[in-house]
Amino acid sequence: SGELYCSLPNPRNVHFESINMKNVLHWSAPEGTADGVLYKVKYSVYGVGKWIRKPECKNINRTWCDLSSETSDYEEQYYASVKAFLNGMCSDWVETTRFNPLTDTKIDPPMVNVSSTEKSISIILTAPEKWKRSPEEESVSLVQVYPGLQYNVSILKKKTKKRWWFSISNNTLVVPWLEPGTAYCVSAQIYVTTPLLHSGFSKEHCIATLKDK
Amino acid sequence: SVTKIRSSFTTIKANIQARDSIRTLSILSHPHSLHKVKVGRCCITRQLFNFYVDKVFKHCKTEDSFVNRKISSIANSFLSVKRKLEQCHEQNKCLCGQESDEKFKQILANYEGLNVTSAAIKSLGELDILLDWIEKS
Amino acid sequence: GDALLPAPQNISILSTNMKHFLTWSPVIVQGETVRYTVEFQGEYEREYANESWIPICECSLITATMCNVTEDISATVAYNLRVRADVGARRSEWGTLKGFFNRITTSLTPPLMKVIADGYHLLVELEDMGPAFQFCVLYWKKGQESRMQQKVVKQVSSVVHLDTMEAGSDYCVKAQAYVEAINRSSSFSQTQCVRVQGGTSMWL
Repeated sequence: SGELYCSLPNPRNVHFESINMKNVLHWSAPEGTADGVLYKVKYSVYGVGKWIRKPECKNINRTWCDLSSETSDYEEQYYASVKAFLNGMCSDWVETTRFNPLTDTKIDPPMVNVSSTEKSISIILTAPEKWKRSPEEESVSLVQVYPGLQYNVSILKKKTKKRWWFSISNNTLVVPWLEPGTAYCVSAQIYVTTPLLHSGFSKEHCIATLKDK
Repeated sequence: SVTKIRSSFTTIKANIQARDSIRTLSILSHPHSLHKVKVGRCCITRQLFNFYVDKVFKHCKTEDSFVNRKISSIANSFLSVKRKLEQCHEQNKCLCGQESDEKFKQILANYEGLNVTSAAIKSLGELDILLDWIEKS
Repeated sequence: GDALLPAPQNISILSTNMKHFLTWSPVIVQGETVRYTVEFQGEYEREYANESWIPICECSLITATMCNVTEDISATVAYNLRVRADVGARRSEWGTLKGFFNRITTSLTPPLMKVIADGYHLLVELEDMGPAFQFCVLYWKKGQESRMQQKVVKQVSSVVHLDTMEAGSDYCVKAQAYVEAINRSSSFSQTQCVRVQGGTSMWL
């Protein structure tokens, strides 16, 4: 295929970084190479016999390549590979390990919406959406991808520093009988039991119950 | 048990999949994906658990003692689930049909298309495909 | 001289709350350090893998007379376990556990539990007994045992909210541990009751 003489050191640490199934291939430049290194990328569906070049990542000098579109079917698994070029020399192709979007993605915390009355707090949680090609494309919530998705919710009463925990499957929670005119802080986490995945905790959303009339 | 199988497999997944150098063939996902099976799920699950216990695990011994212990954990968990599925089958609750038989025949053909050790290691490396499919229902 | 080293005796399993320990009596050799090695065999190995045995590297040539086999007894099937002794170049026969061990026989203890009344809210703090455990928490208004309510707690994270309570009443709580892998529960913990004060002084 007219390949150049491949004695350039290989790209290093070739791996997928995936958040909410936005799957981006990352790597580090070959050891000892300064600027000017160019790369090309290919990928393959596990079990299918051919490598496919990614034109948008041909002769690029950055060290990442977004393969979300090519790896969006999470019922498949994938390999990706990178090759480096510099001053007429090239490296070998360097592959990732097998990438399973369903189990190898990271999940963002849920969005937390809090409102209050005199004596209660209402919490609405929204799970992140799966990555999509364009805003026009239909949204798919991660709740549909992971049927066992649940939420851990923590409620902290700022005055006493007492923290409570709730585990809920649906995305709404109302906590009644709270102290009027008092600040509470809410934070939530997603967790999936199979496959075992959990997000970090959302930042805290603080709100005060209304004052006693 | 499936959760325990998943956690044991996750610890050795990279090791086992690295031993499978054949990227262009699959036992469970190509040419026809397990994920496309909608009918006869219990039958296919039972046949696959029998397949792994009868054919796969015994050919997966490695030089790595930690990996061997995890394979033993998975194999014994499969045996435990296999027993439960057999009870369902005996009570006619896990009936097979043409689609499931056809699907399992094709999986066996994929398996027998490779030499035993490669086929066994590839099958073990595809456990997450099986678990993803089982957990989807 | 080089008399044959006796095999370890009194081999038994101590299994509580899904933690399994193999123990045996020490082999006494005057002036020598005796070391022990443990192996296990699951039902799969017996029936499908030529009765092969699998070494536990954490319990290879150890001086202790106990080995934590929890990680390897990880399926609900019958396991065999064996131990042998080594002193220098001398090695004993294997001593094997009498009968099989199945984790379904583990003894389950009721969970440690602390009930908290916080304003109108009933909360419970449960002991973390490990990943295999869930908890069934029963709670009721004192005197209304027939209207007992149940909450399943799968993830133990400090203070778990149970419910809201009516002012001026007593509420009682008890909990049991449940292990899905062996489909067994512990007995219930001691019942604990708390009183909800009336008035505004008791806001959470």
